[in-house]
Amino acid sequence: MNSIFFYFFATVLILAALTVVLARNPSYSVLSLVVAIFSLASIFILLEAFFVGVILLLVYAGAVLVLFLFVVMLLNLNKEEVARVRQSRLRPLGFLVGAAFLVEFLWVIKASTATETKTPGSIRGTIETIGRILFTDYLLPFELTSFLLLAAVIGIVSLAQGALKSDDTQQLSS
Amino acid sequence: MPGLSHYLILSGILFSIGLVGVTTSRNVLKILLSLELLLNAANLSFVAFSRYNGDYTGQLVVFFVMLVAAAEVAIGLAIVVLMYRNAKTIQADDLKELRW
Repeated sequence: MNSIFFYFFATVLILAALTVVLARNPSYSVLSLVVAIFSLASIFILLEAFFVGVILLLVYAGAVLVLFLFVVMLLNLNKEEVARVRQSRLRPLGFLVGAAFLVEFLWVIKASTATETKTPGSIRGTIETIGRILFTDYLLPFELTSFLLLAAVIGIVSLAQGALKSDDTQQLSS
Repeated sequence: MPGLSHYLILSGILFSIGLVGVTTSRNVLKILLSLELLLNAANLSFVAFSRYNGDYTGQLVVFFVMLVAAAEVAIGLAIVVLMYRNAKTIQADDLKELRW
């Protein structure tokens, strides 16, 4: 039963990830990334990382991708802008790098015998267990992330203010 | 029953797809979306190792990675919006000049 779910969600995840990369229209990319995040969260829950899976859904599907979709709609790209995909001469090089990485990765996993003998540990990533570790051993990093988010908020506000000021000067000069 | 190597292979495939996306797309929004794929491929490895080593630290790292990703996306999208306002383009290689 577990493996049926794993293969199903893995297939959906890979197909959705390919759509993210290959779709022409950015809004299709965003929507297929939502599908990819949902199947990734399902795989997290198969790995019994319940808290992380739910946070992934809330943060990514709930906040980050809505922000992405909002920006895609806000920019309101016309059809020519979306369709204007000129092929670069370096494009095959990108596929080559990706393929080389994949081959290398599969080779390393196949070569290492340590991964085969592992049996799953008896851990369940519930809110209780994760929260207990987060607020004891990892309290300082947890508090420091609030500074990171504060820095992000200040950065966005200053970027937006610069945009407003440049709009004002454009209106004055026109 | 899928083992650790299954999850790691899935993570590797996801990472390669994201890498191809970052290196080949010219649309800045698609580059940011592919970066999300890269981060989530790493997250999948962390959760799989956490499960198979019986250690919760991997799941905490995923938590922190998601916080960093949220900050990165917010700043990145603000820069994309500014870029579109100033240069009227979201293609990465239309930005050839150092000043607008």
